[in-house]
Amino acid sequence: MNWLIFTPELFFLASAGTFLGLSLLPADSRRDYLTAISLSAMGVGVCIAGVTLSGDLFRDTYRVDLFSQVFKTLLALGFFLTVFLCTDLDGVAEKRHSEFYCLLAVCTLAMMLLVSSVHLLTIWVALELSSYSLYILVFLRKDDRLGVAAGLKYFFIGASSSAVMLFGLALLYGATRTGYLVNLLTILPGAMDQPTVVIGLLMTLSGFFFKLAIFPFHFWAPDVYEGAAHQVTSYIATVSKVAAIAILLRVVALTGGGSAYLGHVLAALAIVTMTVGNLSAIVQKDLKKLLAYSSIAQAGYILIGILSMNAAGYTAAAFYAPALLLMKFTCFMVVVVVAGGGNIDVNGLAGLHRRSPLLALALMMALFGLAGIPPTIGFTGKLLIFKAAMENGYLVLVLIAMANVVVSLYYYLLVIKAAYLTEPENDEPDLVLSSPVRILAVTLVTVIVIVGIFPKYLIDIARSAVQALL
Amino acid sequence: MSMAFANFPWLSTLLLTCVIGLLAILFLPEDRVKEIKWVSAVLSGLTFAVSLGLFIGYDQAAGGLQFVEKVAWVPSLGISYHNGVDGFSLPMLLLTGIVFFTAVLTMWELQYRVKEFFALTFLLVAGVFGLFMSMDLFFIFVWYDVSLFPMYLLIAVWGSTRKEYGAMKLTLYLLAGSALILPAIVYLTVHSGMGTFDLTALMQPGTFTPHQQKVAFFLFYIGFGILAGVWPFHTWSPVGHVAAPTGVSMIHAGVLMKIGAFGVLRLGMFLCPVGWAYWAQTMATLAAIGIVYGALAGLLQKDLKYVIGYSSVSHMGIVGLGLSTMTVDGLNGAVFQMFAHGIMTALFFSAVGYIYDRTHTKVIAELGGLSNTMPVASTYFIIAALTGVGVPCLASFWGELLVFLSAFSVYPVRGAAAICGLAISALFILRVVQKTCYGPKNEKFSHIEDISPILGVPRVILVAVIVIFGLFPFLMFDMIQTASIPFLNGLPQ
Repeated sequence: MNWLIFTPELFFLASAGTFLGLSLLPADSRRDYLTAISLSAMGVGVCIAGVTLSGDLFRDTYRVDLFSQVFKTLLALGFFLTVFLCTDLDGVAEKRHSEFYCLLAVCTLAMMLLVSSVHLLTIWVALELSSYSLYILVFLRKDDRLGVAAGLKYFFIGASSSAVMLFGLALLYGATRTGYLVNLLTILPGAMDQPTVVIGLLMTLSGFFFKLAIFPFHFWAPDVYEGAAHQVTSYIATVSKVAAIAILLRVVALTGGGSAYLGHVLAALAIVTMTVGNLSAIVQKDLKKLLAYSSIAQAGYILIGILSMNAAGYTAAAFYAPALLLMKFTCFMVVVVVAGGGNIDVNGLAGLHRRSPLLALALMMALFGLAGIPPTIGFTGKLLIFKAAMENGYLVLVLIAMANVVVSLYYYLLVIKAAYLTEPENDEPDLVLSSPVRILAVTLVTVIVIVGIFPKYLIDIARSAVQALL
Repeated sequence: MSMAFANFPWLSTLLLTCVIGLLAILFLPEDRVKEIKWVSAVLSGLTFAVSLGLFIGYDQAAGGLQFVEKVAWVPSLGISYHNGVDGFSLPMLLLTGIVFFTAVLTMWELQYRVKEFFALTFLLVAGVFGLFMSMDLFFIFVWYDVSLFPMYLLIAVWGSTRKEYGAMKLTLYLLAGSALILPAIVYLTVHSGMGTFDLTALMQPGTFTPHQQKVAFFLFYIGFGILAGVWPFHTWSPVGHVAAPTGVSMIHAGVLMKIGAFGVLRLGMFLCPVGWAYWAQTMATLAAIGIVYGALAGLLQKDLKYVIGYSSVSHMGIVGLGLSTMTVDGLNGAVFQMFAHGIMTALFFSAVGYIYDRTHTKVIAELGGLSNTMPVASTYFIIAALTGVGVPCLASFWGELLVFLSAFSVYPVRGAAAICGLAISALFILRVVQKTCYGPKNEKFSHIEDISPILGVPRVILVAVIVIFGLFPFLMFDMIQTASIPFLNGLPQ
């Protein structure tokens, strides 16, 4: 067995162990933060260094290929960015900081395992490991009332969807007598007319739908987004989505695009998810809840790419994953800086254009990106998704999605209006950004725009990564 | 023209000028108001000069697409950065250059959040220039949205009268339009089977089946038609124009609405001629209703800017009517009218903006006798009004004349209705002139100073353009014909 290809995972395991050790020492949030930021930065480096690795591990239940490595890099990047926001971890009690980083590292590790899993059981184990870390992370919110309510809701819905998924896995195994995805890849395309297989597959997918907050597994999202500490929310909204997209791609790609029935179910889910997400977002006052519903809607768009079930669609979804990561993270960066430890209303952004022009600009570009306005990375992602859907003849689906985009623009504009137009009631002081945050904000805006204008390289990476699935 | 001139990437220069303007303003400190304004004036003047140079430098004998620049952008998707101009787009580039320059000068007295205002204006105009010159569907859509989304802030921050409502309504309407355009673009590229977004490749006859052309043309027509103020999708237009600050109203009514008509022409008619023929009747009907409706609604308005807003709906109806005739005269007239209306409406808003800045009212009943207190400003206003009415020797006359002649022969009833609409609009515009510039003087405003020579510069430029193209319309028609005649001859019969 070649342990070298397991390096990124081992690195994150070691990081988690480090934080576990630190939690035995007296609390020192500065020390924890510095350790976390350096380890997570090294983690990104390790993942990038390992991007070309390939091979199989653990009796072929675990595959390292370009697809998994690209997504691991994204996960590590998301972990790094989340840690970056933890300079003032006001939402979590100080004595819990090292545990917080430990769980975050474990969760990232679990998601890395998830994107490499090629056996039903490893998928299940990795998914549960990541979920359990997240349940605790949500509970860690200092304000008990919010944190516990959100954590319980998350746990119950998560546990039920896990149960459904386990049942689905059992059905799949029963029908095909194998748990290896590589065997399923040959069996499933021919067996998509068997009800057991289709139902088993759909139930299996529900586990991922829960992660991605796709209707009807989306009910946790608004409360968890609101109740969890901002950094945890931003982690759930970015890293967790990336992992869910990856595994969803891997499993749906198994069907070989042969099932019209699956396509129709996914199309219906996509439509409902987008519509529910966008319409509910309109009435939200709390900024994090609004972003939660916008995440739900975004999941619907991604599903359109996945349900196209062709190389172009998978490429589009793979392209959208980093796009979503960057855009959503930018929004949460603004939330963290402006809101501090408490929650924030949309109107809490009032006067942001004066208090910090840079943050206001970053927020605007990120929201325009989420709405799919060019020239942003979000537009290119949507274009790829719609193009793939159109190749399969889903003209009506694309029109519905575009109608949703217009609806979403309304509430994004309300947020922009609050940041650019509304003046605060009390004269709020200017926000002083530390230079790392300043540099990060400039970088994020630049990347969101530049990749929107020059999407070539990212598209090529997504395309080659997806090749590993087909 | 020398080869060196023709080969220089003038079109990218034009775009780059806007981008440089945007960046320069972003890096200037907020309190350097004077410098920001001078940078804006010089760079927008440069775009005016370049667009004029292109207009003059275009080789009309050779015709076709000139000043072409093409660079592969995303080869795997068939996207290329492909620019080129012909007899349809050059008048639009020139119009954009003129209106941009004069709008910047008109906003010379702006004091509130100056930096952001001019930065957003440069972004908007970059989108407009890009759209008029691009020959790639991907870029056309990108430029379309780039030219739209600054509008929200431009109106909501610097506007007046119900600005937040107007800004939101305008943005949502126009982006609803783009929500139809993007599917149409993707639909066509996917179904062409060529894997390219290149307009010149896709517009070869026989690329699309008649059914595909009908579907796509419909989406393009509604999508761009919203921006062009096609009845019944025009309701954002008067509200938005009234809410916007003067310079933005000028660019918006003067240039942005033309993007809508240009989009129908460039994407709808070029790519889907069969769909064009199929929907022409509908286009003519909606255009005729728009002309009459705009005129009647204008008759009832009490606010000066609403009057111009509705006259824009009416005048853009003339463009739509011209496009629907499928004749050389109709096309020539429509494109000429796009140009003339752009200049005319910019002058209109510019004059009204000055009156509003000084009197702080746009209510017609409160004004009166302005020709006594500010004779020069009233003169600009009256010239704009006369152009709108279609007085001979002023630019709009020729466009309207050609459109009505061709419409009357192709669609007699709708043509006649449209001519009645024009008569009504003459009535309401002249009524407004009479009530504001003549009649009893409102003593409250008697102390107000007239337009100073410096602030008069942009208005004089606009008047000069109106008169020049009114007296020498062939300057424009010769240009448009280099595109319209080959285009119509190339259509499958």
